[in-house]
Amino acid sequence: MNNYQRIVFPLFVVVMAVLPTLLNPRWQAVAITFLIFSVVALSQDIVLGKAGMFNMGQALFFGMGAYITAILNYKFGWPILATIPLAILLPALFGIILAGPIVHLRGDYLLVVTIGFNIVFVQVLQNNLGGVTGGPNGIFGLDSLSLFGAKLTSQLAVYYFAFAVLLLTLWVMRNLEKSKAGRALHYLREDQLAAESIGINTRIYKVFAFGLGAGISGLAVTVYATQYAAVSPEAFEFIVSVLFFSIVLVGGSSIPGVMLGVFVMFVVPEIFREFATWRYFVFGFAMILAMILRPRGIWPATFGKIPKYLIKGGSHGA
Amino acid sequence: MARNELILKNVTKRFGGLTAVDDLSFKVEDGQIYGIIGPNGAGKTTVFNCITGIYKSEEGSVNWRGEEIRGMTPYQIVDRGIVRTFQTIRLFGQMSVAENIMSGRHIKSAQKWWHGIVPTPGSLRDEKENWLKVQEQLEFFNLGEFAATPTNSLPYGIQRRVEMARAMAVEPTLLILDEPAAGLNDKETLGLVETIYKIREKGVTVLLIEHDMDMVMEITDYLTVINFGKKIAEGTPAEVQANPAVIEAYLGSEDEDDE
Ligand SMILES: Nc1ncnc2c1ncn2[C@@H]1O[C@H](COP(=O)(O)OP(=O)(O)O)[C@@H](O)[C@H]1O
Ligand SMILES: [Mg+2]
Repeated sequence: MNNYQRIVFPLFVVVMAVLPTLLNPRWQAVAITFLIFSVVALSQDIVLGKAGMFNMGQALFFGMGAYITAILNYKFGWPILATIPLAILLPALFGIILAGPIVHLRGDYLLVVTIGFNIVFVQVLQNNLGGVTGGPNGIFGLDSLSLFGAKLTSQLAVYYFAFAVLLLTLWVMRNLEKSKAGRALHYLREDQLAAESIGINTRIYKVFAFGLGAGISGLAVTVYATQYAAVSPEAFEFIVSVLFFSIVLVGGSSIPGVMLGVFVMFVVPEIFREFATWRYFVFGFAMILAMILRPRGIWPATFGKIPKYLIKGGSHGA
Repeated sequence: MARNELILKNVTKRFGGLTAVDDLSFKVEDGQIYGIIGPNGAGKTTVFNCITGIYKSEEGSVNWRGEEIRGMTPYQIVDRGIVRTFQTIRLFGQMSVAENIMSGRHIKSAQKWWHGIVPTPGSLRDEKENWLKVQEQLEFFNLGEFAATPTNSLPYGIQRRVEMARAMAVEPTLLILDEPAAGLNDKETLGLVETIYKIREKGVTVLLIEHDMDMVMEITDYLTVINFGKKIAEGTPAEVQANPAVIEAYLGSEDEDDE
C-alpha cells in the first residue's frame, strides 16, 4: 500500500502526463478512450465492487450524461464545459430516483431490473422522445472544447481534459475509502444484516452508491461526447453495461484491477489490430478463467487501510 | 426520566404454523446481567431478533426506556442504545479487526454522506477521533496485535471478542449477547465472564442467552427460562436451579444432548 502511494501512483501520473506527446494521433485517441473508460469502470466499481450491488445498467447513466452534454451544446448552444454540472447532477439524481425503490432487491432481481432500465433508456433515445435525442442516428456536430473563449480543438487538449477527470475521480475514490460513507458500502456488501444490526441504514448508502456512480460516469462521457463530437444510442446499449460489469469483476474491485480490466478490453485489441474482432473472444475467456481461478478478480480489493498508530509490530496475517 | 428498562409484554412470534415465541413477558432492569436460558430451539434467538428489529413480533409490545420499539428497523434500535452480537458470528470477514470495530462507530460519527466525496477539516478530525475510539476498544478487548488482521483468518474465540468489541464501540446502554460462550474453551470462557463484569461496571446493562449452565448460574442476576417459546420459570439463579419444571425441561434435554 505504501509503495503504491509513494512510488507507483506518482510514476503513473508522470507517465500519463508525458505519454500523449510521444504518441501519434491514432494512439492518442486510444489513450483518451482508456482514460474515459477507466473513469466509467471506476464508477461501476463503486456500485458493484464496493457496495456489491449487481447493477447491469451503468450505460444508462453515462449515456444520460453524454446526451445531456450533447443536447445542451447542440440544441441550446451551451459551451461543453458549461454542461458538466448538469451532466453530473442529472444522472446522479436519476440514479437516486431509480435506485430508491429497487435497492432492497436481491442480487439477481436487481440485475434484471437494471437491464430493464437500460433497455427502456435506449428505446427512448431511438424513438427520439421529445424530439431532442436525434433518434437512431443520435446527435452530430458538437462543439469542441473551449476555455475562456479560446477553442481547444487539438486532441491533446481532450487528452488532458480526460486525464484531469481521471485524477479527480481517483481523488474522490480515495476520499471515499477514508470516510464513514465508503466504509458503510463495504460493510453492507460483506454482511447486510450485520451492518444494519450495528446501526447502518443500508438503504441510504446503497442509493448513495448509485447516485455517486451515476454522477461520475456522467462526467466521464462529457469527454467522450467531445472526443467524437457526437452521441448515438448504440454506444449505450445494455451490452456496454455488461462490459463494464465484467471489467470490475475480472479486474477485481481495486483501482489497478479495474484499470487493468479497461486496458485489456480497450487497449490490447488496438495493439493487435488484426485480432480486434477477437476482443470479445479474448475477454470472454479472460472472464471465464478469472472467475474460476481468481473469483475475487485478478487484483482484488485490499482492506486493512487503518491508521498506522493502530498497528502493532508483527500483526499481519496471523 | 426514562430508566434503562426493557419490558417485553405478551410477545408472540410465529413462523407459519410454528409459534417460536409464545406470549412471552419479562423485564430487564437497569444495570442487570439478565439471562435467557432454554433448550435448543426454545425460541431464545427469536426473542432477541424481535427485540433488535430483525423480526417484528405479531403480537405484544417491546418497550425500551418508555418507548415502543416493536416495528422499528435494526438501525433505529441501535440508535436508541441497544446493540447485539450473533450466535453464529457475523463479522465483516474480509475486513480487518480495526475496520470491523470501526463499523460500531458509524452512528456515533458526525460525518455526512458528502464527506465521502469531499472531506472537510471537520470530517477529517471526526475520522481521527473515531479511530481513537477504536483503539480504546482494541485495548479493552486485548485485540491490539490483531488490528490489521482480516477477521475470517482468526480463531473462533478471538472472533467472538471482535464481535463484542464492535458492539461496545457503539457505546450501548443495553448489550445483547447471543450465546457468547459457544465454541469457547474453559480459559476463554473465564476471560469472557471477566469481560462481561467489566462491561457492567461501565454502566451497561447486559442481556444474554447462554447454553453453558455453569456460566449462567455464576454470572446472571436474574433469569427467564423458556421452552417451546413459553416462559416456564423466572427468578434468581438459585431459585431457577431449584425449580422442578426447569430441571425436567432444560436439564433433561441437556443430558440427551450430551449422549
Ligand atoms: N426464520 C425462521 N423461519 C422459520 N422458523 C424459524 C426461523 N427462525 C427460527 N425458527 C424456528 O423457531 C424455533 C426457535 O428457534 P430459535 O429462536 O433459533 O431457538 P434457540 O435460539 O432457542 O435455539 C425453532 O423451531 C426454529 O426452527
Ligand atoms: Mg439460538
